[in-house]
Amino acid sequence: MNDEKTFDHRPDPELGAALRRALDPPRGDQAAFVQRVMARYDGALAAATVPTWEVLAAWSRRGIALAAAAAILAGFLLGRALQTADAPETFDTAMAPASGQGGGLTALVTATDPPDASVVFASLVEQR
Amino acid sequence: MPDSPSQPPQGAARIAGEADLVARTLSGERSAFGVLVERYAPQARRVARAVLGDPDEADDAAQDGFLSALVKLGQYDARRPFGPWLMRIVANAATDRRRRRQVRKVEPLDPGLVGGGPRPDTEAVRSELGERLRTALAELPARRRTAVVLFDVEGYSHAEIAEMLGIPEGTVRSEVFHARRRLRALLADWKGA
Repeated sequence: MNDEKTFDHRPDPELGAALRRALDPPRGDQAAFVQRVMARYDGALAAATVPTWEVLAAWSRRGIALAAAAAILAGFLLGRALQTADAPETFDTAMAPASGQGGGLTALVTATDPPDASVVFASLVEQR
Repeated sequence: MPDSPSQPPQGAARIAGEADLVARTLSGERSAFGVLVERYAPQARRVARAVLGDPDEADDAAQDGFLSALVKLGQYDARRPFGPWLMRIVANAATDRRRRRQVRKVEPLDPGLVGGGPRPDTEAVRSELGERLRTALAELPARRRTAVVLFDVEGYSHAEIAEMLGIPEGTVRSEVFHARRRLRALLADWKGA
């Protein structure tokens, strides 16, 4: 074995043989290993062919009840969020006087002359 | 792949023969799968041992690989060789075990484990060179040691190894190169001693 073989793209028989000896399992237990695998043959196939409905049936009732409760809660929260979104608060609604008196804001917007500062202040105070 | 009594026939005959064994297994013939297990057991155990180090854990991983292959046998493409397909599953099973072991304990692979502990029935354990090689392999990154074993021991091509390990072919070449350099230095040192 020389260093040139390090770059070789073909398997190195000498290194391969040494590694094989180092990694090979004991000669005698090969049959035991095969038997061990084959002993689990039926179990592996059985575990792999469990029908989906059996897996679903294995779910506990408690798990199903929790899933249903979670779905109802999610529906309630979604419905509530949509209801709130349907009735947005407009600017006019927010600024209108609660008792309907005064009309200060309307007068302020529709007036032809510039407003007096005291009038603006008074309309704001009036709303509170 | 290198010739050995446990190895299947080469080329198209091998693929056809193994495709037949797979088809018979799928039709419920248990003994056909037994032939495949017998044929590939030494190789699967070596590959798993290259990944894991510990021979007992490697046997568990090789067994997991065979049983996983049995379950997935319907997915095997009968036009392609069976060996690389199986070794990919075995290497994955061994890698999964190694990951789980790393989660359990963070320490690096103990080279002492590589010898398999006190197993006097293992001929290679008694070999000084074997011991040294196992220690050197344990010091290599897992992917590197798997690549060099698949290439130099099992005789798979770079392309096949790339497919098995899910890495580019160039990376396989690089891994084999670095692993060989390390192992070759060790062998040269051992020969000179």
